[in-house]
Amino acid sequence: MTEPNQPSPRGGAGTSTPKRRRSGTGSDHDPRSTAERVADHAAIDRLADELLPALVAKLSATGLAEIEVGEGSWTVRVRRPADGVSGHNRRATDRPSRSQPGHAGHGHAPGGFEGHRSARDPKAASQHSTNGSGPAGGDGTGTGSAATDPGAGDTTGATGSTSTAANASAGPSAVRPSDDGADRYRAIATSPAVGIYQPRPEAKSGTRVRSGDRLGAVDMLGIPQEVVAPADGIVGASLVEAGETVEYGQELVIIELAGRAAERTEA
Amino acid sequence: MFRKILIANRGEIALRILRACRTLGVEAVVAYSEADRESLPVQLADEAICIGPADARRSYLSAPAVISAAIVTGCEAIHPGYGFLSEDDAFAEVVRAHDLTFIGPPAPVLERFASKEATRRLLGSLGLPTIPGSNGILRDDAHALEEGDRVGYPLLIKPAAGGGGKGMRMVRTPRELEASLNVCRSEARSAFGDDSLYLERWLDETRHVEVQVVVDRYGRGVHLGERDCSVQRRHQKILEEGPTPALSEAARAELCSRAVRAVVSAGYENVGTLEFLVDRDGNFFFIEINCRIQVEHPVTEMLTGVDLVATQISIAAGEPLGFSQADVTIRGHAIEFRINAEDPEHDFRPAAGVIERYLPPGGPGVRMDSHLYAGYEVPPFYDSLLGKLIVWGPTREAAIARSGAALAELLIEGIVTNTPIHQALLSSEAFLEGRMTTNLLDRVGSSAFLAAAARA
Repeated sequence: MTEPNQPSPRGGAGTSTPKRRRSGTGSDHDPRSTAERVADHAAIDRLADELLPALVAKLSATGLAEIEVGEGSWTVRVRRPADGVSGHNRRATDRPSRSQPGHAGHGHAPGGFEGHRSARDPKAASQHSTNGSGPAGGDGTGTGSAATDPGAGDTTGATGSTSTAANASAGPSAVRPSDDGADRYRAIATSPAVGIYQPRPEAKSGTRVRSGDRLGAVDMLGIPQEVVAPADGIVGASLVEAGETVEYGQELVIIELAGRAAERTEA
Repeated sequence: MFRKILIANRGEIALRILRACRTLGVEAVVAYSEADRESLPVQLADEAICIGPADARRSYLSAPAVISAAIVTGCEAIHPGYGFLSEDDAFAEVVRAHDLTFIGPPAPVLERFASKEATRRLLGSLGLPTIPGSNGILRDDAHALEEGDRVGYPLLIKPAAGGGGKGMRMVRTPRELEASLNVCRSEARSAFGDDSLYLERWLDETRHVEVQVVVDRYGRGVHLGERDCSVQRRHQKILEEGPTPALSEAARAELCSRAVRAVVSAGYENVGTLEFLVDRDGNFFFIEINCRIQVEHPVTEMLTGVDLVATQISIAAGEPLGFSQADVTIRGHAIEFRINAEDPEHDFRPAAGVIERYLPPGGPGVRMDSHLYAGYEVPPFYDSLLGKLIVWGPTREAAIARSGAALAELLIEGIVTNTPIHQALLSSEAFLEGRMTTNLLDRVGSSAFLAAAARA
């Protein structure tokens, strides 16, 4: 956010497709025009001031691994440090901040922060993953604890970004915007297992839910695996019918995020 | 025959099973972890279903996830490939309890051969020579020392479950034995969940020769010749060939027919491999049986023309073996090179990353079994096998000449591979003369081996 604001030598190329940016990256080969740079800086400032504190609070309160929201061509993702082998692929049913007394989450900085334009560039995602992941150690990756500093969190989290950033579909427990742009402030509850989905009648559309509330279950060999709300909000459309086959990570129920849903209604 | 099966594995073997299904007219569903969403078998499958996260314990090793996936996709059988759940008798039993078929030996057969030590005794009693060793599992340190004195040093400490060199140690003295027992126990416990150990006399300068067998449900069994897997690095096979240069034709025939007679008598079913150590004088000793399809099965396919994976599926479906021993002919010579994402310059440490370019080799007798494609990201979570290059020639010399050309043609960019070690092997006297022993690479040192090849 302190990049020198000087005209780009190749300002004419400013209409090229949005590029993925990393915070703090130098601007030696910046193809944007001055006006675009100013607009970008304004967007970064606004996202940082308005959105970040809210997302950090939400991340701490929910125990989610990662939250991503989009606005315009920008995407903001906050991620907590991985806390073990499965940390970067945490299921919706795993809620460490609730299961660990004394670790309510408040005050812990999220592990990594990335602000980037919503270019779906698999190569960029792969490079990131390559940089971040260690050699094939299997169990060795992602051992940052809750006390891990943000820098280390970014590194361990990078492995996990492969599944969410490189693929268009959401990983479990990711709070991400839908792509249509019309209704961006949504979270999506995903399947914790492969099996048969049964919604909970009490959690029908329009019901107000808190993060962690049960929305239904996926029956895996007769054992129900809970589907929970990834955030506070209002139950929206169901993406899957009762009794349908679902796979691990499949999107099941839309949750309209509480604060934003209210704002929109007022506006 | 089955109508539809679930492939519960990944990488090149998932692709290999998919290909067998296509030739059999069986629909295939590929079960995959989140880390394998973009993999080739998932892209080529008739159907694919995500069963869990990258962590194999919650995907490829999760029996409930795998079985649930098979049920909801309407599959009748599960092919476990190799590794993961492939030799897990408890898994095979749960599969059966859900009215599905496990493609491999039935659960009771897997259970009978689950312990290496018990299998050694069983097949020993059925006519296979075994390495002199401890009488059963070691009860405690005192028992180990007693048995060590009886068998004689040097000795090999081995875990009763599992393989791959984990929990294994060579010891020269009672003192070394005592010092190594705890390490071996804890390695075995973490690798296989079982810390039972036994002792075997250490044979120096041995070759690893294994016999491929196929037995149907009705007790009809044949052998499909042997493979020589003496080229190893730290107990991991890196190159396999057949027939073995270590034995005469008569000795090979004797070994193979004794192996198949013993397993048929022991009630084995489906494809399997009996592993032997062969000493300098050509004596062979049975060491263990692998109750699954093996990584190196294509060597046998090239030599016999038998599709082992299709045969494995047919046998599991209850079909009788469609050929007899007299129908099996071993033709020419075949060599398999395991292409691993490992850095020979840095002690073969595993690598991960994006494949930028991939050009598989071709030509007569050349086969490449690989799940690579340009743009594929090799995930860091699983084993380092990128593919297998298998080369056939009418003679060993011809196969080696074709191998040199094929290895030179193989192009994998973006990730470091162990191809240099294969090229070094092809220019080493020990390999060219067929004198490789299981400890040679480690004794000489892989880097010294590479350096010598560079000078030659």
